[in-house]
Amino acid sequence: MTAHLRNLQGNAACALGAIAAGCRFYAGYPITPSSEIAEWMAAELPRVGGIFVQMEDEIASMAAVIGASLGGMKAMTATSGPGFSLKQENLGYAVMAEVPCVIVDVMRGGPSTGMPTRPSQADVMQARWGTHGDHPSLVLAPHSVAEIYSETIRAFGLAERLRTPVVLLYDETLGHLIETIATEPPPPEALLERKWAEGPRREYRPYAAGEDLVPAMARPGDGHRAHTTGLTHDETGFPTQDPERVARLLDRLLGKLEHHRALIEKVDRVETEDAELLIVAIGIAARAAKAAVGALRRQGVKAGLFRPVTLWPFPEEGFRSAVATAKTVLVPEMNAGQLVLEIERLAPAGVTVHRLGRYDGEPIAPEEIVAAARELVR
Amino acid sequence: MNEIALTSADRFDIRDWLRLEMFPHFLCPGCGHGLALRAFLWAVHELGIDRDALAVISGIGCAGRLSAYVDANTFHVTHGRPLAFATGLKLARPDLTVVVITGDGDGLAIGGNHLIHACRRNLDLTCLLLNNEVYGMTGGQVSPTTAAERYTTTTPAGNCEPGFDACKLAEGAGATFVGREATLQVPTLKNLIREAIAHKGFSFVEVISDCTEIFGRKNALGNSPEMVLRQKAGMRPDNWGNKVDRPFRPNPFPTGVFVRKTRPEYLELYEAMTAAARREERD
Amino acid sequence: MRVQEPNRAAVETRDHARVTSVLMVGVGGQGILMVSKVLATLCQNAGMEVKQSEVHGMAKRGGAVFSHIRFGPEVHSPLIPEGEADVLLALEWAEGLRWLHYLRPGEGVFISDVRRIVPPFACRNRGRGVTPEYARATPAEIIGRLGTGYALDATGIARGLGNERTANTVLLGVLSTALAFPEEAWIEVISRVVPAETLEINRAAFLAGRAWVAEATVPEEEASPVTADPLLARITHRLEITRAWCKGCDICVKFCPERCLVLDEEQIALLAEPEACTGCRLCEWLCPDFAIRLHKEVPAPGASTSPETTSGTAGCDR
Ligand SMILES: Cc1ncc(C[n+]2csc(CCOP(=O)(O)OP(=O)(O)O)c2C)c(N)n1
Ligand code: SF4
Ligand code: SF4
Ligand code: SF4
Ligand SMILES: [Mg+2]
Repeated sequence: MTAHLRNLQGNAACALGAIAAGCRFYAGYPITPSSEIAEWMAAELPRVGGIFVQMEDEIASMAAVIGASLGGMKAMTATSGPGFSLKQENLGYAVMAEVPCVIVDVMRGGPSTGMPTRPSQADVMQARWGTHGDHPSLVLAPHSVAEIYSETIRAFGLAERLRTPVVLLYDETLGHLIETIATEPPPPEALLERKWAEGPRREYRPYAAGEDLVPAMARPGDGHRAHTTGLTHDETGFPTQDPERVARLLDRLLGKLEHHRALIEKVDRVETEDAELLIVAIGIAARAAKAAVGALRRQGVKAGLFRPVTLWPFPEEGFRSAVATAKTVLVPEMNAGQLVLEIERLAPAGVTVHRLGRYDGEPIAPEEIVAAARELVR
Repeated sequence: MNEIALTSADRFDIRDWLRLEMFPHFLCPGCGHGLALRAFLWAVHELGIDRDALAVISGIGCAGRLSAYVDANTFHVTHGRPLAFATGLKLARPDLTVVVITGDGDGLAIGGNHLIHACRRNLDLTCLLLNNEVYGMTGGQVSPTTAAERYTTTTPAGNCEPGFDACKLAEGAGATFVGREATLQVPTLKNLIREAIAHKGFSFVEVISDCTEIFGRKNALGNSPEMVLRQKAGMRPDNWGNKVDRPFRPNPFPTGVFVRKTRPEYLELYEAMTAAARREERD
Repeated sequence: MRVQEPNRAAVETRDHARVTSVLMVGVGGQGILMVSKVLATLCQNAGMEVKQSEVHGMAKRGGAVFSHIRFGPEVHSPLIPEGEADVLLALEWAEGLRWLHYLRPGEGVFISDVRRIVPPFACRNRGRGVTPEYARATPAEIIGRLGTGYALDATGIARGLGNERTANTVLLGVLSTALAFPEEAWIEVISRVVPAETLEINRAAFLAGRAWVAEATVPEEEASPVTADPLLARITHRLEITRAWCKGCDICVKFCPERCLVLDEEQIALLAEPEACTGCRLCEWLCPDFAIRLHKEVPAPGASTSPETTSGTAGCDR
């Protein structure tokens, strides 16, 4: 298929990206500012033989998505902060049972009902630590409509290939932003797919993984008759409390994403090679930061931008190389300071880390970043 | 000697349907959930369902543990959510027979909302709700179906809430098949479950089960055999065709089939209503 | 439907001059109390002394229920001794078999619905007494062994009339032909006992029972007392108890209608009286741990068919 130039809203690009990635199931519950994704999916999915269902709440939506994925379909749901909180329990189930799925969180102001129509980036940590227990998280943070489209496709590939839930995290501004993008569905052979169990049942152990730490999944009806549970299980898929087996499962689950960092990590760098002031930002704040870098460079400040497109697991190596020449790091984010915690953790000794935050429902403007940066390099 | 088969009861060996390596199962002595599992598997056997095309989804609780024992595609999901998981699975895989096993806490308290909407949606699922009047798994706390005045660990002075009639809820929410039976009546229960699974659309079966170890003791309901007998003391099971049977004495729990009606099944309706879109060229 | 022509004259001339004993048996919920009430009222109206003894402690469906009715010019004991019932009226087949030994040998009249109510309804709290051999015999065989017997599908007849629950009244119609009360007297009492809205159907059921007797014949081949189905007679059963799965809940022990299971010293179910096991499967069905399996088997050709060697072998471990 040829590239197709279209004016699309971020949320629409997300829906079309999902369909391009082969998503054929959507379950959701309406919530501003994500509802357009559901509306697009409701219209688009039947055209490709897919299923859309509006469930009774976000808990049910998440459950239905996992159920559909267990049945073999690529599946997704979308929501915003309050609904994302409700999805957390079953998101943990998807981590534990290793069920591929994509969850979109279009962030709005919080806490609680907060400001439904105003942007925010306050779910950075909810996306990392929202569900209980030790668990890895795979979170992608696009910053443009085009990237929402391509990252949604990438989210499905990672989810399927690594048998894990993947969160796509962007804010209200991006969700409702309209940009001209080329919607070019990738050729099928370019998509990362799930590994299905093959071979005889008696040789199949549902959670036995090879070197890549990703077990092959049993498709119901293929004769494997596997058991899937959220209880801590061993390689047979049945519950265990044997300390050695428990540790082995968690080691593998936590190690799985580490093992595939090369596949998972994606960063964007702007003029970081000689940057003395490194700005770290995601999403809409990163767009402001990009403009700020240009302005600062024109003013003679050696500024650069490091943008983790893969937010979690945080691209540590990418950050370390970007920060190599920096003396100061500035983290502009639309919250009370979440991403900055990770940067403080990773910043080399001698590098000072500052944050620029706002949580009043207004995006951060380039001028604010420039002003803050000038303050720091003075 | 040759084994010969005479009747359906003779041909059905529950062990053909079990993951034998998991036995003996973890339920307490006399727990009614075992009887419910027998009736369910017997029904599946009589329907001639291929185990590879059978999916059993259960929530959390003693009832929820049952799926692990069935030699089929089994899913033990989160507390209260099995119907929501099942909705996704069935929509993705209409070729599978999807049966949900839930408890009174799982299906009526934390999962009550999902039950309401599953009834209303009328997707072709079967829900078996094993009602033992208590939260068995967590040690005997009060549940939505605990009868008024009963003792539980969280109602030490007696329950001040009334018990809940799950079948009336299912009926009110629009389920197209609703029935109730006690585990004592294993063959009758099997017939009810068989009809429920064969029913096209959402079917709801409440199984009157016993938590012998916890609820029975706390309320001095006797030993296991006595508890099983007690099931009958309050109700008169349907034995005459499949008509609803009134209890002998005033009791909120009649047994039998309460609702049996046809309404378009969700997926069929969805496919019919989106048929035009399905034919459209994508631009 | 099978019938052995009754010695009706014998019953009719005998009654009322001395004590007549009618034993009614069935399981809870079948309406045995209504039937016994009709008969007792009828006798009272006729100026006789009536004594009635009912056991319906578990009068919900499933519990065994019976009613002894004795009437005559003077009656002392309400209880019918074994072997002295003039009529045994059974609303359920297996329950009827259990009480056969109460019939007056060679003279008593057996009236029974051939319908069996499947355990656990019927077996619950029944007394011991049905031999395995009886449990497997066909109605034709049973009736063939008795002097006088009516075995009819009363439930089917009642269903045909529009209400299965009037099977008891159909049987009452059959009973009325064995006792010397006029038809009108029966109908009069019935109309006072049954609810007004069911009067018509009960009258029809009563008349259907009487008509059935009038039309009933002895089917030649079936009345023969020889075993009807040699294959059926050779089927044996073997009870297997998986000790490792049994949790000693006692359910099978208490529910076995023949009381042939016990808990051993390790609190594990044991088939203590294999010869008494009828293969009814109640224990298998009610074991929550799936520890009991009943295997039905036919002996290889030429093997012995004697019941001693073929029934109820205790099970193996697994
Ligand atoms: C979200 C959540 N809340 C609470 C629990 C604890 N929990 C486990 S089982 C259960 C109750 C189960 O009761 P019921 O559904 O009646 O099943 P039973 O054990 O009686 O068969 C509860 C509250 C849980 N697992 N998850
Ligand atoms: S706690 Fe109660 S419900 Fe749970 S296994 Fe024991 S008897 Fe059964
Ligand atoms: S099959 Fe079981 S319940 Fe029936 S008679 Fe034999 S031992 Fe008793
Ligand atoms: S019913 Fe089963 S578990 Fe209970 S005592 Fe009998 S064999 Fe054992
Ligand atoms: Mg319960």
